[in-house]
Amino acid sequence: MPKPRRLLVKAAKALAVAAILLWSLAPIVLIVSAAFKPERDIFAVPPTLLFEPTLSHFGALWRRWPEFFRALGNSLVVTVLATLIAVAASALAGYAYSRFRAPWLSASAFWLIVVRLIPPIVVTLPLFPAVNYLGLQDTHIWLSILYATFFVSLGTFVMRAFIDQIPRELDEAASVDGAGRLTTLVRVIAPLAAQGMLAVSVFVIVFAWNEFLFAFIFTSTRARTAPLVLADMVGNFDGVEWGTLFAAATVQLLPVLAFVWLTQRYLVAGLTAGATKG
Amino acid sequence: MRETLATRLALIAPAHALVGGVILLPACYLVWLSFQQSTFGVQATFVGFANYARVLADGYFWRAMANTALVVLAVVHIELLLGLAMALLFASGLPFRKVLLAAVLAPYAVSEVAAVVMWRTLFDADVGHVAWLLKALGLPTLEWAVSPTQGLAMVALLSVWLHLPFTFMILYAARLALPTDLYEAARIDGATGFQAFRRVTLPLLMPAILIAALFRLIFAFRLFGEVWLLTGGGPARSTEVVAVYLYLEAFRYNAFGPAAATGWLMVVASLVLAAPYLWRLARTHAET
Repeated sequence: MPKPRRLLVKAAKALAVAAILLWSLAPIVLIVSAAFKPERDIFAVPPTLLFEPTLSHFGALWRRWPEFFRALGNSLVVTVLATLIAVAASALAGYAYSRFRAPWLSASAFWLIVVRLIPPIVVTLPLFPAVNYLGLQDTHIWLSILYATFFVSLGTFVMRAFIDQIPRELDEAASVDGAGRLTTLVRVIAPLAAQGMLAVSVFVIVFAWNEFLFAFIFTSTRARTAPLVLADMVGNFDGVEWGTLFAAATVQLLPVLAFVWLTQRYLVAGLTAGATKG
Repeated sequence: MRETLATRLALIAPAHALVGGVILLPACYLVWLSFQQSTFGVQATFVGFANYARVLADGYFWRAMANTALVVLAVVHIELLLGLAMALLFASGLPFRKVLLAAVLAPYAVSEVAAVVMWRTLFDADVGHVAWLLKALGLPTLEWAVSPTQGLAMVALLSVWLHLPFTFMILYAARLALPTDLYEAARIDGATGFQAFRRVTLPLLMPAILIAALFRLIFAFRLFGEVWLLTGGGPARSTEVVAVYLYLEAFRYNAFGPAAATGWLMVVASLVLAAPYLWRLARTHAET
């Protein structure tokens, strides 16, 4: 390629990268930085880059919205429970679908996908009275079961793809040594499929931590999660206390953002395994 | 290894119990419910297709359906275009690729609620930075709370922002899986960059593009939080989407029968919207 043209391509690429960065990060950076800015700097135009960081908005959040922090605790409990349920169920089913072949097994695997075509809001309707009747309304465990259920299909296929990579000879060797299926699964397969389990967890954790609709319908006080309280703050917003709102959004966002960045590798691996092979 | 049927069943039982109990069983009950007249504390009575007729005769339902279809089609296709362009850009070699990937993935971690906080602030007429920029450029700002079209545009913008990372990752992973020697061959044969894209990249990426489109079409149809939190369906129910319509029927007007019927119409509509892609995908599979 002639030199001027190469430079042009390079410039175009740099411009595209800048646009992508601005698009992806600017909204997040603005809100998170505003949470640490003194009130007068928040809406300065152009945005101030140098400011005296303050924690006063977080203090105000703590005083005015104590339920936000209780809700964060609920979010944490629900997220952990949902992840445990989803990973366990997906790992068991993924193992079965990886190791055994039978027409009825393939049919049941296909079934797992077909059922997922039903939108979540559609099942809330019949579940609502049933959940009330069973006394599960506004409980952590019910919300966790819901979240886990909606990731069991994807989870199963991700786990199958990962377990497919583990040689069957290992199962057989364990069996010769007298290990049963469950022992083999826990002692031999699980450690080797840990990456897959992590990939499934990333999906479930991000979903459960951020989910709005189910929490909106199935919780009221005891199991209320953080996104709902944040939505309340948006709804009751008086147009004055921007800092408090940004502080809450930041607290809700940063843990899961850090988590996604830390586990980026598994997220990509999981998406590849789930989407291309499932 | 000796296998019993019981082991196999036991292994898949938890997953199927969850899916069956939480999705399948309620869905079956919903079929029954959609043929009944029912509300809180009243004995249900069989009414045939009356609920479907009522919903299909409701102008608000059609408005919600049109809004949903419009937003979903716009969102999914914008995502596919941007996602594809970004996947090709990343595959062409970029410095700091890992850091850039992390940046692109960031919106995936953001909740609908937090995203609404961000974009509402950016477009706030008094203090928003984007609103200020638009004004400085002499452009009108987005009046998402007043104008239905602009409200839906804002919903679409938010949706694209939240879900682009997912679409991009599927396409990027697929692009990375393409063998490099094909490009060598194309280059030796004298293909230009664009020709290589048309004749090599695009056909080979087609299955991944179709899968991404299907995934997103079906999931985007569930759109609820963005609309609920941004416009609440207003002004005057003009920005409602199907999920919001269903929610209001069921939980505000306690009309369970029509809400159940809406649920099934929603499933059917999302499949109709996805059908052309499903058909293409089935054909590409048959060819290979």
